[in-house]
Amino acid sequence: MTKRIYILFISLLFTQVVFGQFIGKDAVSKALFYLQKNELDSSKKYIDEADLDQELITLPKTWYYKSLIYKDLYKLNEKDNKNSPLRLTAVESLKKLTEIDTTKEFIESAQKMMTYLASTFYNDAARSLNPQAYKNAEEYYAKYRELILLSNTGTDLLQQDIKFKLALASMLNQDLEKQAKKDSTKIEEVKGVYKMVLSLDTNNGSANYNIGIIYYNEAVDLINNMDYDMDLEKLNEMQDVCINLFLQSLPYMLKSYDLKYNEEATIKGLENIYHGLNDTEKEEFFKNLEPKN
Amino acid sequence: MKKLVSIVLCLFILNSGFKLGNTIDTNAKIKAVFIYNFTKYIEWPQSYKEGEFTIGIIGETSLYSELIKMTETKKVANQTLEVKKFETPSAVTKCHILYVCKDKSSDINDIIKKLKNNSTLLVTEDNGLMEKGSGINFIIKDNRQKFELNKGNVEKYKLKVSSNLEALAFTVK
Repeated sequence: MTKRIYILFISLLFTQVVFGQFIGKDAVSKALFYLQKNELDSSKKYIDEADLDQELITLPKTWYYKSLIYKDLYKLNEKDNKNSPLRLTAVESLKKLTEIDTTKEFIESAQKMMTYLASTFYNDAARSLNPQAYKNAEEYYAKYRELILLSNTGTDLLQQDIKFKLALASMLNQDLEKQAKKDSTKIEEVKGVYKMVLSLDTNNGSANYNIGIIYYNEAVDLINNMDYDMDLEKLNEMQDVCINLFLQSLPYMLKSYDLKYNEEATIKGLENIYHGLNDTEKEEFFKNLEPKN
Repeated sequence: MKKLVSIVLCLFILNSGFKLGNTIDTNAKIKAVFIYNFTKYIEWPQSYKEGEFTIGIIGETSLYSELIKMTETKKVANQTLEVKKFETPSAVTKCHILYVCKDKSSDINDIIKKLKNNSTLLVTEDNGLMEKGSGINFIIKDNRQKFELNKGNVEKYKLKVSSNLEALAFTVK
């Protein structure tokens, strides 16, 4: 009997040690307790409970710990998952925190988290720059932007935006060049991305040069694919289309020339465009600028 | 990590290449289509409707290789196409069409003498050659290749010109 009483006493004492400290504590405190013990799953369970508490959801600490817990869980379990729900929840929590943390109590730590999560989105954007996943790359890059600006609204992302758009256009363009029969929708898409770069930086040499080439190559492809049998009326119509494409190519290549971008190829390009335009005088002018071997 | 990814992005930024170097001369291809069409609108005498259909070129032009390419897939009626290159007017032999490059325009009188008694369509690409005996002369109008037709000069060589070709010419004399 004495033995039984002793066992019961020990059990009660243990329960008190483990759970006693939770008496009167809120879900965020419980989540923090497990977070400190690095028991992230338990920590998540309590921080999710906090979502249901009308008082807790108004407190910055709730959203700070929620973002921290979800960020750590993402790092642990879903780092290779580009569509990680854990990461998205961390981001949403950080956004909520930014909205309500008027005293900036958690700002420093939150900014570090934002920078970290932003870098993971940036990496995923870079890894998704391929013909199959580039739409996702744009979404990841948009998340990267959003987080960087959330962390510091004054950040100048212009050069980063240009770099990303150029990389995207370049990847799409390389893919387009591999296709024997070019899809006109794809051509327009590539041009559109390069034009976006030019809307950010009109003096971007690469964008000017590449748009020039795309227009030029469109004309060359049309001529290349002409059948010798094509009747003369149709040939005249095709000439109109091709001349229009050469003329559209011209201002971009001239800009590339002014910018001294990729000079040798730009000069060759202008020589070819003027050849297509049957402008012998200007063709000769650029031919004479070509480096003599 | 970010630095590494930046390098990945940089690697993606490549420039596209022009197509002229390894494919075609756009103007030569258009001229080749014109020339092939001329064979449909001009009628040669019966004696020229047998054997090979010969297109001669005098002078240097990338049109030569374009026409060679055309011979691989095209015929004129039942006649297989062949392309011959001549260095001088005296080297010119019987052909259905003779194309005179701009650099040989000054030889036009010698070429015409050489073509006497032949049924050859004389095609040129320089100003003022219609008046000197050319049948068809390529010109540039608004950046486009067009052609002038001198019906009288064509018919001198016992060739018949379709009225459809007249309608398509930029000018007809």
